[in-house]
Amino acid sequence: MNVHRVAATASKEWREIVRDRLFLALTFLVPTSLMLVVGYGLSLDVEDIPLAIVDRDGTNLSREYAHRFIDSRYFDFKGYALDRHALPLLLADNKVRAAIIIPENFQKELMAGRPIVVQTLIDGTLPSRAQTTKGYVLAMNTAFTSEMLAMFISKKRGIPLGQAARSLRPVKFEARYLYNQSMRSDWALAPRLIMVILMMTPPFYTALGIVREKERGSIYNIYSSTVSRFEFLVGKLIPYVGISSANAVILWLIATQLFGAPFKGSLLFFIPATLLYIICTTGLGLVVSVMVRTQVAAMVVTFIVTVIPSMLYSGVIVPISSLSETAQVTAHALPAMYYTNIIVGAFMKGVGLRELWPDVLVLAIYATVLLTLGYRMFHKRPST
Amino acid sequence: MDEAAMVNASQGLGVTTVESQEFTNATLESADSKPVAQVSKFRKTYGRTVAVDGIDLEIQRGEIYGLIGPDGAGKSSLMKAVAGVLTYDSGTLDVFGVRVDSEQSSEAIKDRIGLMPQGLGLNLYADLSIEENVDFFGQIRLIPKGVLQERKDRLLGMTRLDKFRDRPMKNLSGGMKQKLGLVCCLVHHPQLVILDEPTTGVDPVSRRDFWSILAQLLREEQITALVSTAYMDEATRFHHAALLFDGKVLARGEPDEIAALVPGRIVQAKAEPQAKAFALVKETFPQSEAVGPWLRVFVDDADDEQATTAVTSSMEEFRPQEIHVAEPDLEDVFIALLRRRGLTDDDHSASLVGNADSVSDGDGLAIEANNLVRAFGSFKAVDGVSFEVKPGEIFGLLGANGAGKTTVIKMLTGLLPPTAGTGRVAGADMRRAGQAIKERIGYMSQAFSLYQDLTVVENIRLYAGIYGLSRRMTRDRTDWIIDMAGLAGRGSDLSGSLPMGLRQRLAIGCALVHSPQVLFLDEPTSGVDPIGRRRLWDIIFDLSRNSGVAVMVTTHYMSESEHCDHIAMMYAGRVFADASPSELKTSLREESGQLLEVTTDKPLAALDVLQSGGFDGVSLFGKRIHLLAPDPSKAEQQVRAALGKKDVGVLSVSEQPLTMEDVFVNRVLALEKADEGKQ
Repeated sequence: MNVHRVAATASKEWREIVRDRLFLALTFLVPTSLMLVVGYGLSLDVEDIPLAIVDRDGTNLSREYAHRFIDSRYFDFKGYALDRHALPLLLADNKVRAAIIIPENFQKELMAGRPIVVQTLIDGTLPSRAQTTKGYVLAMNTAFTSEMLAMFISKKRGIPLGQAARSLRPVKFEARYLYNQSMRSDWALAPRLIMVILMMTPPFYTALGIVREKERGSIYNIYSSTVSRFEFLVGKLIPYVGISSANAVILWLIATQLFGAPFKGSLLFFIPATLLYIICTTGLGLVVSVMVRTQVAAMVVTFIVTVIPSMLYSGVIVPISSLSETAQVTAHALPAMYYTNIIVGAFMKGVGLRELWPDVLVLAIYATVLLTLGYRMFHKRPST
Repeated sequence: MDEAAMVNASQGLGVTTVESQEFTNATLESADSKPVAQVSKFRKTYGRTVAVDGIDLEIQRGEIYGLIGPDGAGKSSLMKAVAGVLTYDSGTLDVFGVRVDSEQSSEAIKDRIGLMPQGLGLNLYADLSIEENVDFFGQIRLIPKGVLQERKDRLLGMTRLDKFRDRPMKNLSGGMKQKLGLVCCLVHHPQLVILDEPTTGVDPVSRRDFWSILAQLLREEQITALVSTAYMDEATRFHHAALLFDGKVLARGEPDEIAALVPGRIVQAKAEPQAKAFALVKETFPQSEAVGPWLRVFVDDADDEQATTAVTSSMEEFRPQEIHVAEPDLEDVFIALLRRRGLTDDDHSASLVGNADSVSDGDGLAIEANNLVRAFGSFKAVDGVSFEVKPGEIFGLLGANGAGKTTVIKMLTGLLPPTAGTGRVAGADMRRAGQAIKERIGYMSQAFSLYQDLTVVENIRLYAGIYGLSRRMTRDRTDWIIDMAGLAGRGSDLSGSLPMGLRQRLAIGCALVHSPQVLFLDEPTSGVDPIGRRRLWDIIFDLSRNSGVAVMVTTHYMSESEHCDHIAMMYAGRVFADASPSELKTSLREESGQLLEVTTDKPLAALDVLQSGGFDGVSLFGKRIHLLAPDPSKAEQQVRAALGKKDVGVLSVSEQPLTMEDVFVNRVLALEKADEGKQ
């Protein structure tokens, strides 16, 4: 390998990138805007659910029950509805997503120690949101019921309210969320987005960069010269790895500074691991580019091989363990999952090479295989 | 006897190799007898398509070897394989004595070759400056900095690109891109340069400039060149050439030898009415064409007298008013070769009756431009252009790249409003009636006019639909187009699968679907083989003469411009000449003189002597030198005297007829000189 030839190729490529203002702008704008748009847009938290209540009882107790929901940050109270017939319209218009109907004689029946049914209507068009809503309603209803019960027992037995409440719950539930105490989904999402974006963008740049030369015909300068295949590919890839590395830094800053995601790990581990991942995805672009002839084909193929694995099989949306068995096999065969482990470990758990070395090793194998494959398939004397 | 074999035989006997030997010696001190490249039984296929089918070639050190043929003849495949950048199926290929048969072995020759692939400037980097482009090519060849600087200065100086070193490649003119491409593939001092159609898409001035620079560079750097071209008239630039057609060699040898393969004469005759006389002549002589007011007829195996008599008698009662006899040029020979071997495509002669509804009302002009101006910012792309085209006329618009031709056409077709001036096309005002113009004209461009994934009939129906033809009209016009273009039986073929010539005929048919009165043809014959080109001109001739269609055409083939009734030549946004081809030639002869052709035993030395000897228009064509002389006999004495002093043996000096290329190149060069003088 001759360093001068590599340098000549790399510097030519770099100048072309810098002079092509649109391409240059896109290489930096696309990752940043993806991060911002998806980061702000794709919040999986369910809060401020628009809610209506029909209070057919109109007593102290029914109002107290209603206020449990009205005062909660999970619900956005839109107002009392006069009767249940108004509700389907409100739900159909998306004005409310949930409605609670407190029946007549709510207070009377409860005071008499008889159970009563409170009906809840939930918009079921989005199952995950409906499930979460149901969970909130159920939790608040349980709390209200047990308080009622405690009050009843303390009155009957003449014991203090606190003691009565405790006796009702012999096993008390306590949960502490590790790594993300407040369960903020943007903290969880931002680092994973870095993974997605660094999966998608480097192959695009690389594939376009190489296929552009093929499409125009300038690749014949390389074919007909003494530059070796290896020198050409190394020189060609360096600028793109550089740009993607710069993007990684920008994305890291957005995640930690703008979204406030905690970074608990060591940069000394995270930086080389990220670089390895970038080389790996750049290698993916190389393999795509040796197989196709036109830039349009390069874009389509790159989109298919990067976006789907990075979104579906990486654990961003659905945890790997919840995937079907075949999907789990697919996930293990793709690099996205391993870097997700690394990035989640480094950001939220503060772990390093000692814990994550298997993932790093898999990425290294990936990078080697992809680059070797690309090199093997690239010929200076093709048949067409 | 097989013609190709004949050439081989004559080469083998050494009949005409004296001169080329001499040439080689002049070019190279250490003349090596081993060929630079040797190709034998070479075959290349792409899937089921056979691109090259058993070709043998031998390229000698120091020569310019030409591959001549239309698109799809197999030139590019052969050249890429020689450069070691394309595999081949069978046969052998030796370059510098290295058997090129694998990726590894091909690497061994790459330090000694330079390749300029097809496509103007496509192998260069658009966003890099001239200097950066050259630097890149130098750096990947590991040329030491100092040496690179020195070579770069010299090459850029020689190609007169040194003033524009910092200009990005994308902002260069076609001619400049082509010269930069040449510099880039020569910067590492290769022994063999492979140039694939370096002159395609370049105007004649830049083309002539390119050939003279190439000749000078090859001489000074002692380089061998393998060059391909689609322009037959460029064959004179080569020392040896091979005519390729359909993946096979039709003929090979020195250009003179190839021309001598088909004995015969070209008879040019003027007779009235031309169309009727032409129909009669065509019956006896299949290889004849109408060129402007002339009929041009190839007569096989005849001397001057026999040819004249034969053509005159074939015209029956239309006695020619004027008649000349000339030697056939290479294009005539190429066609004659194909004809004799039965390789011309179907002899279905185009019958054009039926376009009668397009005969215009007869009143007024078909195209009228008055002082048209089009400015882009402060730059005037078109600056006060005026001309007139009558119904039934063929009008040619010629100019170098960037002279403003395309802008004029865009204004006339209603695509671009003029900044100032007025114009009428087919009776419609171009300032106001853009839509009416579009309905009354037909337009065909070389670049994009057919949908390749549609069949022949589907394409015609599409155009008929666009122009809102009724169902009956569509059926009639479809039949007419298929008949006119000779596409009978191919109606359901995909248009992308048709050969180039047929495709262009279909395209012209689609442009005529609504029987327009005015037809615009933008480089209609680019990349079409000579036979296809002639068929296309037959159609154009017939449309204009028999249907009264006014045809406006642009072309880079100067020989084709002779077909036009009158020609406007453009330079820097202005029309500087508007006359018939023969008038243009006459006026050049009056101003600058007759064309003299000088052949010597040392052409390159002679070129130096004549260029520094104060002669006008000195240019090298292979082994011959052309120059312009107001007084031919006096000039001949001067030439002989000047060359005699330098010990150059003069073989012959003869007067030659001026061509349209001579007119164009000399006029434009004079204008360029005047411009430089002003600055």
